[in-house]
Order: sequence, then C-alpha cells, then structure tokens
Amino acid sequence: MSRAGTNLRTSYLESNEVLHRPYQKVLMAIVLAVAVLLPAATSTYFVHLLDLCFLSAIGALGLMLLTGYCGQISLGHAAFLAVGAFTTVILTVHVRAPFLVVLPAAAVSGALLGFIVGLPSLRFRGVYLAISTLAMHYAIIYLATSYQANFGSSATAGITIPDPAIGPFVLAGDQAWYYFLFVLLILITAACINLTRTRPGRAWMAIRDRDIAAQALGVNLTYYKLLAFMASSALASLSGSLLAYYSNVVTVEKYTLDLAVIYVAMIIVGGMGSILGALLGAIFITLLPFAIDSLFGYLPRAWRFGSTLFGVQVGAVGTCIILFLLFEPKGLAEIWRRMEVYFDRWPFRYRPLETVRR
Amino acid sequence: MEFAATVVILTCTYALLAAGIVILYKAGRVVNFAHGELAIVGGYVFYSSGLMAGDESLWLAIAGALAFSIVMGLVIYMTMMRRLVGEPFYVAILVTVGLGIVLKSAILVIWRAERLTIDVGVAPALRLAGGASLSYMDIVSVLLTIAFFAGLYLFFRFTRLGVQFRGTAENALLASQRGVNVNFVLSLSWVIAIMAASLSGVLYGGRAFLSTESVTIGLAGLTAALVGGLDSLRGAVAGAFIVALAQYLTVRLISPVLSEAVPFLLLLVVMSIRPWGLFGTLEEFDRV
Repeated sequence: MSRAGTNLRTSYLESNEVLHRPYQKVLMAIVLAVAVLLPAATSTYFVHLLDLCFLSAIGALGLMLLTGYCGQISLGHAAFLAVGAFTTVILTVHVRAPFLVVLPAAAVSGALLGFIVGLPSLRFRGVYLAISTLAMHYAIIYLATSYQANFGSSATAGITIPDPAIGPFVLAGDQAWYYFLFVLLILITAACINLTRTRPGRAWMAIRDRDIAAQALGVNLTYYKLLAFMASSALASLSGSLLAYYSNVVTVEKYTLDLAVIYVAMIIVGGMGSILGALLGAIFITLLPFAIDSLFGYLPRAWRFGSTLFGVQVGAVGTCIILFLLFEPKGLAEIWRRMEVYFDRWPFRYRPLETVRR
Repeated sequence: MEFAATVVILTCTYALLAAGIVILYKAGRVVNFAHGELAIVGGYVFYSSGLMAGDESLWLAIAGALAFSIVMGLVIYMTMMRRLVGEPFYVAILVTVGLGIVLKSAILVIWRAERLTIDVGVAPALRLAGGASLSYMDIVSVLLTIAFFAGLYLFFRFTRLGVQFRGTAENALLASQRGVNVNFVLSLSWVIAIMAASLSGVLYGGRAFLSTESVTIGLAGLTAALVGGLDSLRGAVAGAFIVALAQYLTVRLISPVLSEAVPFLLLLVVMSIRPWGLFGTLEEFDRV
C-alpha cells in the first residue's frame, strides 16, 4: 500500500493497477452508477446531449492518442469522421450491409486511410506535418463532395441512412443509443488505457518527447508513428460512422476544417497526454454551445441577440483554447489532478513530488 | 492577357499575406494560422470605418484599418505571444488557431457575416490587348503591393529599426543584450504583418467579397509562404506566384471545387523535394 502519493506505485503489482487507491475505486463506481441511472432521471434532451458527448469522446480519444501521446499534430480529424460516415453510406446504400459489419468496416477503412495520411509524418514534423494533414483533409473532403454530388438524393440535402439494427433490435431513440454508446465508450476507453500503459503508449510518449532519442533507444519510429495514425483514424472513422447512424443523415458540409479544430480544442482543454483529459475535453467542448444557448435564455429580453448566438458559440470555443493554453496548458485533467493531490496531502500544503501523469 | 492579369492580382493578394506570415515567423518563430481571419477582419474594419462619418470616406477607412492593425498587433503580442516564450512550438500555433476562431466569431457577431464588397471604383479603367480589362481597383492593388514590398525592403535594409528587426530575427537573446527592445520589435512585427494582411483583405474584398468563407485565403497565403521558404520575403513573392498560378490553372482546366485543395497538394510536392522551401534557409530545428 503506497503512502507516497496519489499515483505513485511502489511495486510491480501496484503499477499494473488502473485504479490504485480505494477512493478512486469508490469514485469510479459512483460515476458508473450515476451514468447508468441517468437516463431514467433526466429529460430526453439531456440524454441526447450525452449521446453527442459520447460520440465526440470516441473521436477525441483517437486524436488524443495521436496528438497527446504521440505528439503528431493532425488537423485532418474531420476528414476521418467523414471517411467513417461515407463508408457507412456506401455500405448501407449500395451493399445493404448490416450494422455489425459496417462498424468494423468503417474502422478498417479509417485505419487504411490513416496509414496513407500518416506517411508524411515519417518525413515531416511540427508545422509541416500539420499542413500535410490539412492537405489530406482537403483531398478527402473533395472525394466525399464528388461522391455526394453524384449519388446524393439532392445536391445539398445529403444522404439518408435507416436506423441500424442488431438482429431483431432496432437501435433508435436517444435512450437506446445512450446505453449502446456508453458500453462502447467504456470498451474503447479501456482499450485506449491499455494501449497507453503498455509498449505502444511508452513508444508514443518517447516519440513525442524526443523522437531522435527514442530511435536511438530502439523504438521503431515508422511502425509506431503509423500505428498512432491508424489507431487515431480508426477511432475517428468509428465515431463518424456512429454519428451517421445516430443522425440518420450524412452531408459533407458538416466536415469542415472548423470541426477538426474543435476536436483539437477538445484535447487541449481536456489536457494533452491523458485519457481522462480526452473524455473531459470532449464533454466540455460538446456541451459548451448548449450551455451558452441556455445562458442566452436567462438574459433579459432586451439583450437577447438571437442572431448572434452562433457567433458567440464559435467565439467561446476559440476563447477556451486561448485561455486554457495561456493559463492551464495541461487542461482539465490537471485541475482534477491538483484536486486529488490537495485532498491527498491535506492538511499539508507542500507538494514534495510532481504528480505522475496516469 | 486576362490570364496574366488575374494571376498577377491573385499573386499580389497572396504575396501580402505570405509576407506577413514570413515576418512573423522570422521575428518570433511563430506560424500564424489566423492570418486569413486577420485579413478579412481588417477588410471589414476598413469598410466600417469608412462609413463611420456617415459618408464614404477613404481616409477614415485607411485610418481605421491602421488603428486596427496597431491595436490588434499590440494586443496579440502583449497578452498572448509574450507569455508563450519557452513553451513548445505547437502552443503558439494552437493559440493562433484559437485566435482565428475568435476573429471569425467577431465577424459573425459584429458584422453579422454579411457579404461585403469594397467598392473603390470598380469600373474598367484600362483595356488591354487580349480582352482583359483592369479596373481602377486592380491597378491600385498591384501598385500598393509593389509599394509595400519596396517599403519593406527599404525599411529592413536602411533604417536602424529595420536592422534591429533583423538582429532580433537572428538571435533575440543577443539582440536584447545589445540594447534592442525585443518586445517593441516583436509587437512591431505583428503590427506590420496585420497591416499587410488588412491591405490584402481590402484588396480581396474589392475584387471578390468579404465573408466568413473568405478566410481560407489565409491558408493559401500560408502555403505560399511555406513553398517560398518560411523565412524569406522574396520567397513569399515567388511562392505566392506559384500558388496563384496553380490555383488559376486548376480552376480553369480541372475543377473549381479542387481549387481549395490545390495549394496544399502543391505544398506536399514542394516539401517532398525541397522541404525548406524554394528560398528558405536550411535550419537545424525540427522541421523534417
């Protein structure tokens, strides 16, 4: 039993535990219980919001693996969401494939494209890598636009997809989706935690911190960089595919560069380099526009700028990015860690050791 | 002839943007992803300040755009960029990305994202051989761009402040120890860059229109700067010309939809062959 601090492990057995201290296990149990009971206690609208949070959390986890853990800046995340959505469209409309076949197929197609998009990372770093992912974004969106122009029901209305069915159960309605996405998110989060705790995660973090030194230590840069891109794009495609099923319509106009920046905002606000950060950031950024919307509702009638609501929502995301980068660069996850350390050290105030990133 | 005229004017727009990006990169080693947004907001400010006195006034518009550049440059540098000294490179870039989003929201909130065209005499003033016609605006654009680059050249070469600029660009620490006010120089770099961007935005608004979609010219300007070499002003012009040419040819010969992607694809090609750009210097920090 370690008395040395919140996340410090003093034996190999302890270092394998995800939840180390008793209070963390209790907290996790409470969170899970609340999450399971939530749909029964709140409105359908709130459940819908949580569904959106879960969907973006899956995408944010992917981007966190790539940018937060492996350090490869990618502005092409929206393109991978589009890849997942359009793979879904092609498979459901032309081939009539079932739901449980389309989801893995979307992930696989995302991984394949992620491989291609990841190839420049072997040659470029930093800004140049970001720009090359931007180039890939435009190329993919161009392909998606041509597809929609040729096969869409009309030029801008997009393509509709029927509700997915697993065997005899049709997945429709916010509540059913909530439980499905919740279970899926738990599985994906567990997979990501495992990835980051084992060899790939360590290799990625080595690449992020100093890739030349990592290579000198024997980390295969090619393999791990491409693995990061493929994992990230597979998750993004999966998220895009699920969103396509959830909203029953796919239009390419949704997948703009702004969407990619919003995902980057999620991982910045959440805290780069932590799985918890990806989840917190996704929830924060997804709920932010709706929070602003309801905030506008509380302003007295004379001040209600109905038409500028969208602008303020957009501005809020940008302001969050700037403020978090200036004042809290390690994001919401760091705020959580500081709280943990505060309660752990109480009544002492001195922090003798750096909190270890989980 | 019309082909040449269009490409020249497009080159001017991109060259101004690329020059701003190059100046910011050389002085502060920050790649500004918000340059397009700065340009378009500058254009909007020009338009609104011209209308402030009730009657369309060119001098008020110019004064407004100048004031915007100065205030914005100071604010950006003093409140944001100065605090990011020592952080990894991507932090400054992401802050500029956030800044771009905030500027875009300003367009939505303040100007309700109306499409504006800046009207400074669009009537054809000059008919050239081959069916091209240049408006008064076009001629002014080209002349202003040339004047701006000439001014930059003279400034950096012959004035004391310009030499201080170049010193800061090479080694800010040494420059500060020799008595250069690095904060002043870096704020000035932002002011000059935003002035160039606003000029470009005004010219673009005169030829096309200003709206939230126009901010993509910033990315084209960024690729122009990267193609030419991120630390070279003559590279900015060269890169702008290449990007403008490639875009025009794509729109005419292949497909207008692809025109947004063309600068990036061109950049990928150039970066595979010559990663530091056509006129850039091969530096040892991590780029490749």
